[in-house]
Amino acid sequence: MAVRKFTGLQRDVLHLYRQWIRLAFQKPSANRQNFLNYIHLEFHKNRDLRRKDFTTIEYLIRNGQKKLKTFQNPNLKNIH
Amino acid sequence: MALIQRSLFRFIARRGVATTESAMATHSTVPKMKTFKVYRWNPDKPAEKPHLQTYQVDLNECGPMVLDALLKIKNEQDPTLTFRRSCREGICGSCAMNIEGRNTLACLCKIDTNVSKQEKIYPLPHMFIVKDLVPDLTNFYQQYKSIKPYLQRSSFPADGKEVPQSIEDRKKLDGLYECILCACCSTSCPSYWWNQEEYLGPAVLLQAYRWLIDSRDQATRQRKDMLQNSMSLYRCHTIMNCTRTCPKGLNPGLAIAEIKKKLALSA
Amino acid sequence: MFRSLLRANVARSAMISQGPVRFYSPSNLSKTAISSRVIDVIKSFNKTDASSSNPTEITMESSFKKDLGLDSLDTVELIVAMEEEFSIEIPDKVADELTSVAQTVDYIKDHTDAS
Repeated sequence: MAVRKFTGLQRDVLHLYRQWIRLAFQKPSANRQNFLNYIHLEFHKNRDLRRKDFTTIEYLIRNGQKKLKTFQNPNLKNIH
Repeated sequence: MALIQRSLFRFIARRGVATTESAMATHSTVPKMKTFKVYRWNPDKPAEKPHLQTYQVDLNECGPMVLDALLKIKNEQDPTLTFRRSCREGICGSCAMNIEGRNTLACLCKIDTNVSKQEKIYPLPHMFIVKDLVPDLTNFYQQYKSIKPYLQRSSFPADGKEVPQSIEDRKKLDGLYECILCACCSTSCPSYWWNQEEYLGPAVLLQAYRWLIDSRDQATRQRKDMLQNSMSLYRCHTIMNCTRTCPKGLNPGLAIAEIKKKLALSA
Repeated sequence: MFRSLLRANVARSAMISQGPVRFYSPSNLSKTAISSRVIDVIKSFNKTDASSSNPTEITMESSFKKDLGLDSLDTVELIVAMEEEFSIEIPDKVADELTSVAQTVDYIKDHTDAS
């Protein structure tokens, strides 16, 4: 099977997702699952977006990057 | 004499009452309904496209400014309508938006009383939107921060008091210090639209100039060096939308030209 | 200095794998050792078919998508778990291309020296 190449936008989404997952691993291991649950929930909310809905996807990526910056604060150790 | 005065007074008083009554009568019978079309976009439903929502406001029951109309709509018709506002007198810069195609402050912009025309209200153009009329100004503020908008000195007066400035030197800051950073000018500038990440834009450059020519500042060299590249300053092509739109009547275009002159002469 | 680096690495992998402490130094991991650790990570990743009641057998040839039933996001998550296990960072470009157990093992084999 030929490897299906991702589009640029899909790559951006995967990149964002990877950054979030890496973030979860930087948090205390006892709370990791809370972060993972949150990440799964947020990404799955928009799972059914049309692939060509560029403006919405771009907005969500921008927003996700912004939230990521907030979450990267090392003083943020857990979420509920 | 006293009698005449008294009757005159009574006459005026009566007329006064009469005028108010007749005015009130016209108010209640002929409402002046003005149509506003306002840009709406809700981040909680990102897949729904932005749209214009129509609101009707009776101008007889409303203050004279566009901000008055927006507040009236929010108070009485649609509490979900979202916009920034604070001072309502043109000094805070919060309510900057695009009204009838011009970037301005809603609190300083009179409603066009011609009710046959609709009034269209959009957020500042070419900005990411937080919600409805609220633009994301993170990048704008970051750029402002990057020019170090504060007095930089290596030495201070021995008496520990303020750094003095002559009246002439203070005069140079007129037309610059009044800027309230509402971002009307920057977001009206095509160069800024296309190069927001690198070009500082008129508002921030006006401030850069304000600190460059401050007689008390000692970091002039560093400030000039920071601007000496192809993007930060030289993306200005003297389109002059900035000066045309500034709600405070300032001239960012001139300030940018002055910076260019300074850099040309000092290099 | 090198030894302290090594110790840190062993302690890290022991902490993450949560299994018996393995005293591999990253520079001379054998391919079979890597494979078994990779497979362990996949097994503990609770989204694969391998962790269900009727586990699919994981082989070197298993494809993340076809055999393990992972979507693109799950794969990203699995690869990050690999990064943690082996204390490496896989660049985006490479990570997007990893689609099977064998590819992952090969990449780790070639790059644990660098970490």
